[in-house]
Amino acid sequence: MDSYLLANAESVVARARAGDEAALEELYRAFEAPVYNLARRICRTTEDAEDVLQETFFEVCRSIGRYREEGSLWGWVRTIAASKALMRLRRNKYRDTDQLKDEIMGHRREDTALRMDLEAALERLSETGRAVVWLHDVEGYTHDEIAGMMGRTPSFSKSQLARAHQRLRRWLGEEVET
Amino acid sequence: MTHLSMEALLSLREAGLEPGDAAAREHVDACPVCRAELDRLHQRVARLKALPALRPTRDRWPQVAARVGAERRGRRLRVGGLVGLAAAASIALGVALGGPAGRIAGGEQEIRMAMARSQALESALSQYDPEGRVLDGRTAGIAQELEDRIASVDRELEMTELLERQPRDEQLLKLWRERVGLLDALVDVHVTHASNVGL
Repeated sequence: MDSYLLANAESVVARARAGDEAALEELYRAFEAPVYNLARRICRTTEDAEDVLQETFFEVCRSIGRYREEGSLWGWVRTIAASKALMRLRRNKYRDTDQLKDEIMGHRREDTALRMDLEAALERLSETGRAVVWLHDVEGYTHDEIAGMMGRTPSFSKSQLARAHQRLRRWLGEEVET
Repeated sequence: MTHLSMEALLSLREAGLEPGDAAAREHVDACPVCRAELDRLHQRVARLKALPALRPTRDRWPQVAARVGAERRGRRLRVGGLVGLAAAASIALGVALGGPAGRIAGGEQEIRMAMARSQALESALSQYDPEGRVLDGRTAGIAQELEDRIASVDRELEMTELLERQPRDEQLLKLWRERVGLLDALVDVHVTHASNVGL
């Protein structure tokens, strides 16, 4: 994240609230990379992730007046980005077919005992599973927060995380001999 | 020996203790297999956090800036348009009132009621100062969708003013009612959010 913005967040936000386009662009440049990274880790394609990036900053620009500086600016932007990415998953209706595909892929991998690297294994997870892993393990959201964003229960988030880790463990060849 | 499930191992990483976590912790201390599994879990999460950051290949700022600019221009036009629209509707209804029959047709009265309700809801909404509040991403998304739909109804209202009287009044009533429904929902979104966060 941009160190200049972190040091001058207050004045940049004040200018952005006043409609200063240069300040809005400063916000975009400062958070473009982490927002895209989050979106790309959740969405299936680069196009979807770029659309989420665009939607996120459109929302940031129109709602900057609602940001009350109670939490970090990045925390506020990140929550918008995560919601937009999850909204994109719902809109694309990946979830309906995901489970079945995931089951099939899972069994195939079990049969062939294929060892994958972490990037590939993460990519192979279901949309929901990957989103929960990324939001919980990397971004640090709680199960309650993830449940809120997904419109599901915390138990759903917990079970998705456990299933995803079981698969990652298997696909990465990390199963312990007992 | 029964080993811990993945869910139980994951639960041990959380800050707060859940029921059964103390027993699970005792088990991990005594069981080398589960201890190794927990270590692998920690390592896996550390490796996830260390994955390289992915960067966009295209600059999307020009599209964002263009859309923000277009929305600002649209908002200015819409505010002006709505004032004109309300005035035009009032004049039309005023003419009906002062007409030879001296009474408002049923449809026009319903339009006037819907307009009054719409105005009351907008006034209620402004009391919650939606522009000045922080919304979580999900609520902001819903509010944005409702605002976009209201804007779309407003555009239709403007177009409907150009129609002949009979189809115009029916269409106006339908649109004003739709606007009231959307505003109702928008007020709900803001009020619910405000009460949830204790505002």
